[in-house]
Formats: sequence, structure tokens, C-alpha cells
Amino acid sequence: MKPGMRLRLVLRDLASGCAFASMAVSGQLPLWTLALYGVALVCALAGFRLFAKRARLTALLLLGVAILLALNVLNGALNIVVAACAFAGLISGHRLLSAPDPATDGQVHLSGLLMVAGGAALSGELVYGVLLVAFGVLASVALALGVVEAAVPEGEPVPVRSVMPPLATGVGFAVAGAVAFFVFFPRLNWNMTGPRASPGFGEPTTGFSNTVRLGGAGTIKGNPRVVLRATLNPDPGVTALNAYWIGRTYDIFDGQEWTTAGGVRREREAMLTLRPGGDSLVHQRVELLPAYGGRTLIALETPSRLGNAFLNSTTGSRRTFLQELSGGEVRVLETGLGYSYEAYSLPPEAGSGDVFRRLPPLEQDALLALPEGMDPRVSQTAARVLNGEREPLAAAQKLATWLQREYAYTLELGGNVDDPLADFLFGRKAGHCEHFATALTLLLRTQGIRARLATGFFGGERVNDGYILRAGDAHAWTHVLVPGRGFVTVDATPPANRPSQGSRLLERLLALYEAVESRWRNSVVDYSFRDQIDVARALVRPSQPDDAPAERSKLPPPRAFGVALVAGLGAYLVWRALERLARRARPLEATRFLDAVEAQLATARLPRAEGEPLEELHARLTRMDHPLASTLTPVTRRYLEARFGGRPLRPGEAEHLLRALRRAVEHWRREADKAARPPSEPRARAS
Amino acid sequence: MERMASALGRAVQGKEVQTRQVVTALVAGGHVLLEDVPGVGKTTLAEALARACGLSFARIQFTADLMPADILGAQVFHAQTASFHFRPGPLFRQLVLADELNRAPPRTQSALLEAMAQGQVSLDGNTYPLPTPFIVVATQNPVDLSGTYPLPDSQLDRFMVRLSLGHPAPDVEARLLATRGGAPPLESVQAVTTPDEVGALRALAAELKLDGTVAEYVVRLAQATREHGDIERGASTRAVLALGAAARTQALWESRDFVTPGDVRAVLGPCWAHRVLLRSAVQGVAARDEAAHLLEEISRKVAAPR
Repeated sequence: MKPGMRLRLVLRDLASGCAFASMAVSGQLPLWTLALYGVALVCALAGFRLFAKRARLTALLLLGVAILLALNVLNGALNIVVAACAFAGLISGHRLLSAPDPATDGQVHLSGLLMVAGGAALSGELVYGVLLVAFGVLASVALALGVVEAAVPEGEPVPVRSVMPPLATGVGFAVAGAVAFFVFFPRLNWNMTGPRASPGFGEPTTGFSNTVRLGGAGTIKGNPRVVLRATLNPDPGVTALNAYWIGRTYDIFDGQEWTTAGGVRREREAMLTLRPGGDSLVHQRVELLPAYGGRTLIALETPSRLGNAFLNSTTGSRRTFLQELSGGEVRVLETGLGYSYEAYSLPPEAGSGDVFRRLPPLEQDALLALPEGMDPRVSQTAARVLNGEREPLAAAQKLATWLQREYAYTLELGGNVDDPLADFLFGRKAGHCEHFATALTLLLRTQGIRARLATGFFGGERVNDGYILRAGDAHAWTHVLVPGRGFVTVDATPPANRPSQGSRLLERLLALYEAVESRWRNSVVDYSFRDQIDVARALVRPSQPDDAPAERSKLPPPRAFGVALVAGLGAYLVWRALERLARRARPLEATRFLDAVEAQLATARLPRAEGEPLEELHARLTRMDHPLASTLTPVTRRYLEARFGGRPLRPGEAEHLLRALRRAVEHWRREADKAARPPSEPRARAS
Repeated sequence: MERMASALGRAVQGKEVQTRQVVTALVAGGHVLLEDVPGVGKTTLAEALARACGLSFARIQFTADLMPADILGAQVFHAQTASFHFRPGPLFRQLVLADELNRAPPRTQSALLEAMAQGQVSLDGNTYPLPTPFIVVATQNPVDLSGTYPLPDSQLDRFMVRLSLGHPAPDVEARLLATRGGAPPLESVQAVTTPDEVGALRALAAELKLDGTVAEYVVRLAQATREHGDIERGASTRAVLALGAAARTQALWESRDFVTPGDVRAVLGPCWAHRVLLRSAVQGVAARDEAAHLLEEISRKVAAPR
């Protein structure tokens, strides 16, 4: 095997691996195909071409795989697109293990292209983009090396070292060109239906069930996956929003878990108004990401209106409808990977504005209900702490302060106990947000103050110009009914423990990834013809304020095309100039040596005609019997030999000669200075 | 070559540069045109070269009534055998001194063309090779032009180098008077080499490495003469080849086995000054000087490979 060939094959295999990974990041491929391909890739990289001997026979394995995938599709267990992608990956895996001849190479690269296309269909995530570029670079270099290899006569080594720099330059230009093409070439708008979603890594982790159950064993992990992305209007502009994002509320506690009275209230609405809004509503454009996993809409507390919902799936997005359930929960009717919608919320300090009398009767009753057989100590404790305070909000705040002071926060679950509340209040004296919120709600209820449990998220981390929530930001708190203001949020959880409890480093890294990913989404995945026009328009009229909406749908002005043409021409000219520069700026080693010698001689300030070559200077100095001539003789001789005589400089020889020359020049200059200057010169000091 | 040059130097004192150039032309296989006023040693130089190299020598005095047959030779009828025999003319020598070449009519001058270019003579349908090495050293007087026929360009182009000796320096002249005392100067010149050695030198010179960039440099110089505003006709391809050959020999002087741009520049003036045709009306020595000046300017302008 030629020395360069191994490299080419490794690059080819890695390119195929990148292409497969670009599909795999979607998380939709069946696990066994991942495993099969992984084994094939590892074997190929290690140089074991297992199928080299019996390519035809082993192709039967592919037939078996195809049947298996087809059965899965017929079962409905597998999407047909996913199955096709998986099959493309396995074909590639089979080709990787075959004998590396030109036909196989072609098939590997072709299947790589197929897989990349499949990856585009399955996911458009940032990781996909990175893998796509990696595939492009690796496959191009592998292909180019193949061409070089074919041009090198049999038995000679492939000049990998000398080929790589121009190849790298070429690939760099190609990638830059692809980006420019992406930005400027008028694109057919595949995304007519809006942004698509992909499940991302792994299973979704949070979600809203119909109940909140205290107890359980284990540890709550601070999951840093992003579940929600929102842009707010008016934009608060702060880095950490620290706001309550509500999902739903619960009012019935049976000692173990929270549930809600009542069922579906409103079915199939495009727009749901939960409560009348005020003057200063906060508008949110929210996107629920696949990691969220639920259908319950999330909005800043307190939501007034929700609607305009879209369901995002792998195939695009479409408009969907909302339903309202008890507990103020709003759900999307259909299940998708992600959802986007708009919401209006009352400003946080206003309270919900609900009036007790207008609440449904069931809910009215539930707000004071206590679980049967509740530990009597709960009521006694509440009375003791409140010490006669009857005003609901003041009482709730008093109790919350007490809970925060007296109880510890822990992510360790308490295990299954009969009475989780009593266990928290009088046993472990430590718990997580649901314990705190439950305790506060029930302590208030024992004193005749109406309260309920609310769940959702707490936080809001700024990424670019929006906010994100992570799965670990999930939170529970208490709503106290204050006459005249409606439900007011009181949080019994110690403030430091409210936001996500994940590791700081991981979170910071993830925030970085989020920022890049968000940019990727905005500027790549959702980049449309409209955006292109905006780019062109920004080029033509940079400081134009927002145009009237009617003008936005027009075709770009002719000037935009002119600018594009000029830009293209300019790019071409720059490229030509760069190319010429690159061709010129590659001096021979001897020429570089000459430049160094000339630089040395320039410091000697020899009288010299402009453009006098070293050769002639040396001849002249020799005739003059100049002191530098003897040093210059070997220098000149070696330069001429290296440049025109085909006897290149030995390593280190140039440095050696230059050192000698420098010494001679310095010595000569000192002598010359001494000769030129009288021994003591008073004028030198005067200046 | 050093031996040759020093041997020549004994005959023609104080003219090291010119003697070296004559040897250069000999080794490079070219012909020499010596151009100067009478009495500066042109003929002496040529004869000394013949002696130093042990070349067979003939001197042809070109006059207005010289006929081609006078130099090439003629078919002579032999009465005994009743057949024509070729009697070689004085041209059939290794070194031919064509004295005052421009006094002969064009017809005679052109008889030299084939001999100089191909090293052979064609007469009555027969081709007779000339001895090797064959070198023509021609002289001409550029000042006294009355009754002369100016050399055609085709003729000029066949001379590898054109030299003018110039008057010797006063001290050299004084020494000449003192030492020589009327003794024939050529007596002191001894053969220091053989024609075979000259042939070997020629072969050696032809093998020297001429780097591609240097060759390109020569071509660019030629291009520059062709495009120069003051030059009517630039260097021909033969001129390019001659310059290459001369530069190779020049490299031999420096005992190098490769040619540098400096070698090219060193022989550029002698090699090309007589070949370029100027636009200006100046003639004779002035034209040569101006051509040399222009070539110097061109060699400064055309960037040498680095």
C-alpha cells in the first residue's frame, strides 16, 4: 500500500463516519443500526476490511437488514424516512469493509452524501451543521488525495506533504464559497411551513403530569437541557430574568399527591383567554423544545391570553389548536416534538386579578380542602408561627420566611413515606421545592387562608435576545388568594435554591453551546429568502429603518442585484490578486538566503548602485580589496550554487554563513565609524 | 584558459578584458569582430591567439577586388589526370584572420557566411568541411569608412563578440617602447594548448548547467531589446543562443559549472552591441557605444532572477 493511501482511506472512513453521525444526532435511528455502523467504522479505521474477499456474498447481509427495516416500517415502529437513512448508513458501513478500490470509494462517498441528506431531513441542529462541514472537508481531501494517488506512477510515494497545503487552501476556499453561496444564492424556500424540530439527544425529561407526587426515592438531577426559548416584548433586558413561568396549578392534596378538580373546560380553540388583560401585558413568543416533552403551555405568570400555536415536527410545522383544562392548564391538542405559540401575561406585581366568586364552585371548595387524616401538628404549627396574623398575604409571607429559615433544601428525595408532609415538617426538616410549596399551601389552608400549588419553571437565562429555561429550572410554589388582587405568588423555597441546581461549569458550557446553537438556528436553519432579501437590503440601504410591511414582500430592488454583481466581481478580483500573491510569495530557499544577506549588507551602508546584484557587488568589492570581500566570497558562491547550480544549502549552512557575515559587517562598521569620526567629537553631545 | 589569456597578454599588453573575451569566443565556438582604428594590435592579437592555441593560421587581407574564390579556393584543372581538383583557399585554416573585412565587396563578404555559420564551404555542388576548431577573427576600421562596404546585418549577427581594443594605457605604451625594442612581439608567445584541448574546452562549456530561470532571463533580455523604443531591431534568436554560449564560457572563467545571471551580464555588451540596430542615425563607433549603453540600461531594467 502506498504511504499516502492509508491516510486517504482513513479520511474517507472518517468522512463517512461524520455523515453517519449527522444522521445519528437526530436520535431517531434505531440503536442496533448505530451499533452495526459503529463496529463497521471501527473495523475499517483499524484496517480490517472484513468483506474484502466476499463482497457479493456479504451483500446478502444488507438484504437481511433491508427486510428487517421494512418490517419495522410496516409495523409502524419506524418512520420510512428514518428507515431509509438507517439503510443508507448500513450500505456505507458495508462498503467501508469492502476492498478499497475506486468503485468502492465512489460508493462510500455517494452513500456519505445520501447520509448527509438524510441527516438534513432528520435534524437541522448545530451539531449536524458541524458534522456536515467535517464531512465536506474530509471527503474532499480524501477525493483529492485519490486523484493525486492516481497521477503518481506505480511504486512511488504519494507526495502527501506537498499536496496538503494547497488542498487545505482549496478546501478552505470551498467552504467559504459554500457559505457565501448559502448566504447569497436565492434559495427555494423548503421551510414554507416554518421551523422544523428534531428530538435532539435522548428522551425528553420533564413534562407535566396530571399529578404532583411527593415522596419517591432517589436524587433530583439538575438537568441542564433547554426546554423553552422565549422572546419577550417589552424586553426586560436583564441577564437573569428570575421570573415564575407557570404551567398549571393544583388544588387537591390527598396526603400523597396533588390533583385538580374538574376536567376539560374548553376544547379546540385557536386563542384562549384565561383572564382579562390589563394595559401593560407582556408579550411572549415561546418555543417549547423537544426536551420539554409535554403538551402543557408555559407562560410568564400570570398568563392572560394564549394562542397562535404551531406544532413542530420533523416534517415541518403546522397550526394547531389549544384546549383548556382545570388548574389553568392549557394544552396543545396534538402531540408533536415541539411547539411554538404566543402568550400575553399580566405583569408579575399585579396579581392574577381573579375574583373568588367567579371561580368555578369546585375550585372554590378545593382551595381550603385538607387531606383526610392530616397530622394535627400541622395546624398547630401554623397557628403558632402565624401568631394571630390573619391577613392572607402577610400570613403567607410570614410562613414562607419561617419555612425558608427553619428548613433545609435538598435534592435527595425522602423515600416513600405515609405522610410526606409530616415527614418534611417534623421528620427530615429538609426537602425540595414541592415540599416547601406543599407545606406552605397546607399551612395556610389550616388557618382558613385559600391557597393552591403552582408548578412551572423559575428563572430565565438570557441567550442572545431571548430567554431560555432548562429542565432543571422546574419549580413549584404557592398561590395565595388575596381579596382584591386574586392569586399572588408566594415562594417558600429558599431563594438560593429556586433556579436550576446543575453544575455551574456544565451550565456555563451549555450556555455557550446554547448561544451558538441559537445563532445557528436564527441564521442557518430558519434562514429564508426573506432573510436574504434583508441582507441585500441592508447592503444597499444600511441605515434604513423598518419599512412598511407592504414593501417587505416585494422583490429585491435592482440595486441589490447590482451590489451582488459588484460583490461577486470584487470577490473574484480579490481571489485573483490573492492567487497571484500566493504564486509570487513563495521564494526559493536560496532567494530567502539572499534576502537575508542583502539585509545584512544594507546595515553595512556600502556605497551601492540601485539594484546591483550580490554577484556584481562581490566582484566589485574583490577588485577594491574591500575587507568584507573575503567574508562575502563563500556567501556569494554558496548562494549562486544553491540558486543556479543545483546544489542546495545544507541545513544550518545559511545560518552559519549569515552569522559570519554579520560579525564581519559589524566589525567593518565599527572600523568605518572610527575612521569617519575624529576621536572626540564635541558636537555629538550638543545635539 | 588562463594560460591562453596570459599568453595573449604577453603579446597584447594591458588588454586583459579583451583578451579574455577573445578566448571566451574561441571556447564558445564563436567568431570575433575586432573593431578599431589601425595600429592598436588587432592583428597581433589574432596571430597570438593562433600561436597560443597551436591553431593553423591564415591571414586574408580583404580588399575591394577580393573575389570569393580567393578565400574559399577553386577547382583547378589538372592536366595530367584531366580532371578538376579542389584547391582549398586560405579559409581552410583553424583560425582565419579576415583583415579589414569591410573593404571587400558584399559578394566576397557573403562567401564567409556559410563558413562562419556551418563550418563548411560549398563550392560547385560539393561541400567541404572546414577544420575544427574554426574561428574567424575579423577586423574592421570603423572610422575610415571611405571605400568600404558596411557589413550586412546577417554577417554581423554571425560574430559572437565584437571588441574594440582601444589605445593602450600610456605606461603600457612606454613599457612597450622600452622592452620590446622593435622585436617581433609574437616571438614571445608560445603554444600553451592544443586544438584538441580547445575542442575539449568547448565540449565542457556546452555541458554547463544553465538554470531555467537564467535561460528565461536571457530571453527576457532579448525581449527587452525587441521592445525598446530606441532600437529598430532587437536581438535575434541566434543572438540569444550566442549569448547563452558566451555566458557558459564566462562561467568557465569563474571555474563554476553553472551559469549565473552575472555571467550573462558580463558578456551582454560584447555579444549584442553589434547586433541591435538603432533607430538613431549615428554610425560606426558612436552607434556601438550607444548600443552598449542601451544594453546596459536594459540589463539594469530587466530584473535578474534572484
